Amino acid sequence: MTKTMKIHVYAGLKDYFQPEFEVESVVRNTDELKAVLLTINGKADSILSFCRFAVEEGFIDNEYNLYGHDTIVIIPPGSGG
Amino acid sequence: MVTTLSSSSRPEVGVREEAADRPASGDNAKATDRPVFSGGTAILEPALSAEPLDMIGMLARAHHPGAGAVVLFSGEVRDNNKGRPVAWLEYEAYEPLAEKMIAGILVTAREKWALQIAVARHRLGKVAVGETAVVVITASAHRAAAYAANQYIIDRIKQETPIWKCEHYTDGEREWVNHCNG
Repeated sequence: MTKTMKIHVYAGLKDYFQPEFEVESVVRNTDELKAVLLTINGKADSILSFCRFAVEEGFIDNEYNLYGHDTIVIIPPGSGG
Repeated sequence: MVTTLSSSSRPEVGVREEAADRPASGDNAKATDRPVFSGGTAILEPALSAEPLDMIGMLARAHHPGAGAVVLFSGEVRDNNKGRPVAWLEYEAYEPLAEKMIAGILVTAREKWALQIAVARHRLGKVAVGETAVVVITASAHRAAAYAANQYIIDRIKQETPIWKCEHYTDGEREWVNHCNG
C-alpha cells in the first residue's frame, strides 16, 4: 500500500505549489522533502531555503523523522502586523 | 471566549496522537513545541480574528487595579509601502500554531515584566487601508514595563509567528511580504 504525506503550504509558496497536495512517503526528513518539492517546481528553490517545516503544530528540523501519513506544513518567513 | 489559565490548569493543546507507524517512544524532538505556562495567571483570548478588531472594546476591558499604566499598540494598514500605492492587505496564518505561539509570547511577557494584562489580537483576511491589523495591549504597575513588554510582544509576533501578509497594490499587482519590516 502506498502511503502519502499531505503537504500544506502558505503565503508566497502558493505561487509555486497548490495549497494542499500529496507526495509519496519515500522522504525521511525535510532535506529529502525539499528535494522532492524542487522536482515539482524548481523555481521554488530560493523561497524554500528560508522556509520552516511543522508537523502536528510544532516546528521540526532535519533531524525529525518523517513518516507515512504525516501532514507537513511548510512555513515561509512570516510578516504579520 | 475568554479562558483563564493558571499553572494548575495549563492547557493541553496540541497533544499528539502517535501515528500508527511512528515510534511510540517519541524519538522525534521538535525544534519548537507548545508554549510553556508556568506560574501566575494569564487571561488568554483567541488571537486571530477574521472580523474587524474591536480596539475600543479591548481597551475598555484592559483595566486592572494593580496597573498604573496601560499601553495600546495598533498596527494599521498604510496606503503605501516602499513607494507603491497599496489598495489593501490580505492576512493569512497557520492558525493552530499561530494561536499557540502568540499565547506563549503573552505568557512570557507577563512573567518577564510582571504584567497585569497582556492581550494581542491579529486580523486575518482582507484588511482595508486605515483599518487595524493588529492590537497589543499591556498593563503594568508602571509605564516602563508596559511600553517595553508591548514592543517585545509585537516584535515577536511579527518576527516569529506564522502569519503572512499580501500587499495588493492599486495597479492590480500583489506581493507576499516575506520580511519583517512592516
